[in-house]
Amino acid sequence: MSDPATTWHAEPDLLERYARGDIDHARACSLEAHLLECARCRLALAPAVDTGRLEGSWDGLVAALDAPRPGRMERLLARLGVREHTARLLAATPTLRLSWLAGVVLALGFAVAAAHGGRGERSLLLFLLLAPLLPVAGVAASFTRGVDPTYDVALAAPMPAFHLLLIRSAAVLGTTMVVAAVAALGLPDLGWIVAAWLVPAVALTVVSLALATFQAPVTAAATVAAVWVGGVLGSEALSDGGLRAAFRPGPISSAAFTAGGQLALVAVTILALLVVTSRHDRFEIERTV
Amino acid sequence: MSQITVETAGLRKAYRSTTALDGVDLRVGPGITGLLGPNGAGKTTLLRILATVLAPDGGTVRLLGRDPADADDRLAVRRRLGYLPQEPGLHPNFTAFEFVDYVAILKEMTDRRARHGEVRRVLELVGLGDQAKRKIKALSGGMRRRVALAQALLGEPDLLLLDEPTAGLDPEQRLRFREFVSTSPDQTVVLSTHQTEDVAALCNAVVVLDQGRVRFSGTARELSELARGRVWLAEARDPAASLAWRTGDGGHRHIGDAPADARLVEPTLEDGYLLLLGRRAADELAA
Repeated sequence: MSDPATTWHAEPDLLERYARGDIDHARACSLEAHLLECARCRLALAPAVDTGRLEGSWDGLVAALDAPRPGRMERLLARLGVREHTARLLAATPTLRLSWLAGVVLALGFAVAAAHGGRGERSLLLFLLLAPLLPVAGVAASFTRGVDPTYDVALAAPMPAFHLLLIRSAAVLGTTMVVAAVAALGLPDLGWIVAAWLVPAVALTVVSLALATFQAPVTAAATVAAVWVGGVLGSEALSDGGLRAAFRPGPISSAAFTAGGQLALVAVTILALLVVTSRHDRFEIERTV
Repeated sequence: MSQITVETAGLRKAYRSTTALDGVDLRVGPGITGLLGPNGAGKTTLLRILATVLAPDGGTVRLLGRDPADADDRLAVRRRLGYLPQEPGLHPNFTAFEFVDYVAILKEMTDRRARHGEVRRVLELVGLGDQAKRKIKALSGGMRRRVALAQALLGEPDLLLLDEPTAGLDPEQRLRFREFVSTSPDQTVVLSTHQTEDVAALCNAVVVLDQGRVRFSGTARELSELARGRVWLAEARDPAASLAWRTGDGGHRHIGDAPADARLVEPTLEDGYLLLLGRRAADELAA
């Protein structure tokens, strides 16, 4: 059917070049305006179009229209410059979800309140004990069967479990530490000791990963937590004669929060990193011995 | 069988005091193999080992000609593997599309457009093309099972391991499942099930597992033939019979010794299975 308004028709050569994508933008626009009106030229164009190219652009169109809008968290990560597929891996981390972070905020809020309730450095003890343990728990949970709902599927997939573990651990450690740093701003101003949890947080997380190459992640995290709490409370008690001393007002005496102790923790972190990298194959398959 | 793609020898696995696998020897080729057995027979443990998720305590495994105990071989197997675990977790806040896309990322599909195309293909295959944008927590149980199934089909794997793929599917969906699971002749599919009808309808080979051991390995026909001459139909139930039940048309089917006034009937795969495992399996099928 031809349109009476159409007075000219496109040359076969022009149509062929258009089909190949071989003409400039302005001419393509004017030709397209004509094609919309003229059935005869559309028919003439059809055989010139390479079906592969047509399918390709059609697939592209469908993909663009069908591509789902990413969830809130993935959009936030994209804005922070995280690549699309890494963002999806992070969005699937149970301990990066709002419910987990809410728990972290609650626990730290409690510790901050406790700090205001006491006097002297000892009032900070709960915060200093707790803040390093939260990332330990978060990291352990992020690769535990039963907490990560897709544990089996992820393990059977070719992406190395260690790779996934590192991405998630870094993200969990990072977000937990940011939350803790914000919470620490609310602590009573007692000098640099309000930041003394930072080094232990990194150290305990890496040590628990190293330990997880020998035992189940949750067991590893529990061991680290027990040694940490026992060690700090124990040294407070020893220095002040009796466990109740740890709750009396006074200066904190645990070596972990001294300059020397923090340096030692940095050394432990490096050692643990070596263990994790040399034994990372242990994360690739589940063993129960 | 022309070619062996899945082979185990003397496979053992124990959890504390429970023995899950007690020396499993398996030889499976391309086509569909049904893994049949009562609860606690060791089917899930066996499939987790074949999926390279769990290391056995003892024995050897060869998958697609490779040894999953070796790190490089294991990666090569994982690149050709699709796995539906028994209780696949899904992230409830993801949409069906996002979840399958997430697994596709884990499967190293880095090109976004190709990956999205593949995700759409497998969702269409399980009949969820129009549900792709719904959140998983808003889907019914049967739909969730199909989302989990879809991820196993990504990339047309050479080895497809399905743990109870038809559990929770309605009859129509089960029929659909049978249609798409049996398409490629080169693919090796191992599926576990309680449903003897699934095995009869789908599988060219059957392995019966009980208490961590292989009790039968052969064709579906051979399993039925085990019961030839031992299946009877009688008017009344023989009080001494241990394997007998009332059928839909009022007769009583007996497996084993002949009851009074009975005639021999053609055995089914279920009859063979029940004869092999006895009372326990019968109770479970009835449940």
